Amino acid sequence: MSDQERVRVLSVLVEDGANTLSKVSGLIRRRGFHVRSISVGPSRVVGRSRMTLTVDSGHAEVDQVRKQLERLVEVVEVEDVTGQYVHSRELVVAKVAASEVPGLVERGAKVLETGPDGTTVEFAGEGKDVGDFINELFQHGVLDVARSGPVVMRRTA
Amino acid sequence: MILEALEREGVEYIFGYPGGANLPIYQHLPEHPELKHILVRHEQGAAHMADGYARACGKPGVVFATSGPGALNLVTGLATAYMDSVPMIAITGQVASTQVGRDAFQETDVIGATSSVTKHSYLVTSIEQLPRVIHEAFHIATTGRPGPVLIDICKDVQQANAEPVNLERLDIPGYQLNGHVDLDRAGEAARAVANAERPVILAGHGVILSHAEAELREFAEKAGAPVGTTLLGVGAFPVNHPLSLHMTGFMGTGWNLKAVQNADVLMMVGMRVDDRVTARLADFAPKVKTFIHIDIDGSEMGKNVRPHIELVADAKNALEAMTPQIGELHEGRGRWFSQIDAWREEHPLKYTHSNGHLQPQDVLIDMYKRCRNEAIVVADVGQNQIWAALWWNYDRPGLFLNSGGSGTMGFALPAAIGAKFGRPDAAVWCVAGEGGFVMTAQELSVAVEHQLDIKIVLLNNFSLGMVRQFQDDFYGGVRSQSDLSHMPDFVKLADAYGLPAVRVDRFEEIGPAMDAAERTKGPFLIDFRIDPEANVYPIVPLGKGLNDFWEAPDK
Repeated sequence: MSDQERVRVLSVLVEDGANTLSKVSGLIRRRGFHVRSISVGPSRVVGRSRMTLTVDSGHAEVDQVRKQLERLVEVVEVEDVTGQYVHSRELVVAKVAASEVPGLVERGAKVLETGPDGTTVEFAGEGKDVGDFINELFQHGVLDVARSGPVVMRRTA
Repeated sequence: MILEALEREGVEYIFGYPGGANLPIYQHLPEHPELKHILVRHEQGAAHMADGYARACGKPGVVFATSGPGALNLVTGLATAYMDSVPMIAITGQVASTQVGRDAFQETDVIGATSSVTKHSYLVTSIEQLPRVIHEAFHIATTGRPGPVLIDICKDVQQANAEPVNLERLDIPGYQLNGHVDLDRAGEAARAVANAERPVILAGHGVILSHAEAELREFAEKAGAPVGTTLLGVGAFPVNHPLSLHMTGFMGTGWNLKAVQNADVLMMVGMRVDDRVTARLADFAPKVKTFIHIDIDGSEMGKNVRPHIELVADAKNALEAMTPQIGELHEGRGRWFSQIDAWREEHPLKYTHSNGHLQPQDVLIDMYKRCRNEAIVVADVGQNQIWAALWWNYDRPGLFLNSGGSGTMGFALPAAIGAKFGRPDAAVWCVAGEGGFVMTAQELSVAVEHQLDIKIVLLNNFSLGMVRQFQDDFYGGVRSQSDLSHMPDFVKLADAYGLPAVRVDRFEEIGPAMDAAERTKGPFLIDFRIDPEANVYPIVPLGKGLNDFWEAPDK
């Protein structure tokens, strides 16, 4: 199985709780899966959070990732959105040495702060676009980069 | 508060050990005489007792332990119950909520240490959570695929007062009991077995947990399909039934393994299809065209073997749905039965008698003649476990208890104690090797204290027998650290604990020793000093497929 075929993107609705994150991450580790990225934030419902997990199933059958997560009592719902028609967004915030960054702004970056010590920008987009954007940053004397994992939502149409 | 909640849940026995972080619970225990507390000698013993209790009587076993080392001593017992889907509630004391995270005295992250060996766990830091948590815990432990649930309760919460709360309807959104039942293909599965030329059914612990033995038997008889069981499924189908294939797996019977390896349709019900069942996965059941898997836990589907037809359901529901849809049987069924009979003749269970040593099989055969199918046999782990599984003809569930998934040495004695509390009416026999026995032998005090009528059959071969056999056969014959000739005198040990015991070295002494055991009320130990070279057969060499099983040498 190719590297890419083993990777699942899962949208997971969980009950908030002190142990939830450690139980999810502990399960992924002990079943031999590997987390590529994880994003967590409040969901529409109070007391529940939505996690977007990108997980490599390792030596296990790929559907085991979803099935094992569903066994956790803290997990309310798991949706496997791998290869689905989804909106997927990642965020990058970066600091560059230049005081002006017209090239980055043209690509859709937003300037958060600028001054004699450099410029801080943000950019959101699909994983590939964020990757391309970060490559471009290196041409501007990048000082620091912080990048999120993806958050996804199924498209309505 | 906690004890009242346990009474409401119908708890009769608690197996436990007090300590600094659960003393507030113990302070109030005398006010609840309906809750009978069994003081163990080590917390691992408590967990195995609760496990044996649950396996014997079906009710969840309840354990108390204090924080830190007390709770950590439960871990092996929790893992044992978790692997074998046994309902258990472990209530552990935790340091006060204001002390959590400060490395307080006897503080351990018990939730962290036990997450991988519990079905679910709770850390209770405020009294308001407690009634709901306890009620939920019992529900989760006992429903669906059962398992142990741990409740870690901070000491200040144990001391807090709260009004008894009316238990609202359970609302556990992440635990949908019947959320994944899928019986759509029951008819197709039934017809696949019936239409098969060479069908085989394998039955696991799930059949026993779902009380589906009658449904399994009806289905097998109507579909004309022979039935083997896993080690944990022993008793799910009567060994003496004409359709029985006895036990499967890498120490299963020769005729079972031949049938599995030649089957064209293999139906696996209530089992995990683990490596001890399949041996080398790539060689498992190579002629099967249709794998059918029935399990209550959907995550078992395709975990090890990808089924063509999957039914995610309780075994009883699934078999009930299937039986009416069986239809016509394949005309070649007679040939298949004749073939299996030929294999049964060709590969019988056998053992060496002629070397002058006491043979473990002779001990078990004598035991079986006495007990028939009335006694509960609790086995430890190792050669003793497989001999006890193979050399009895269990005809129904609940007669053979063992740590199948986890393979926990030291299980038998405390589990037998728990089983006796759960089934005081039944004779309970504990079968153990001397290696596993000494791992939890301190619990003899509990058997003596309560004068429990438990017969302990020690199959003492002066070595870690299974390890020694593996070393001889698969690890170049290097007998490394498997010699146990330095062990206590078990008759004197029993005497020190206050129970009678005898030693048996010769075949002729088996009967009189068993007579003495049966005559004695209360615990009794027999130290059977068996052939130190006795081996388990058949056995599939490590890394090989089921076809490659070795049989007992002819002697």
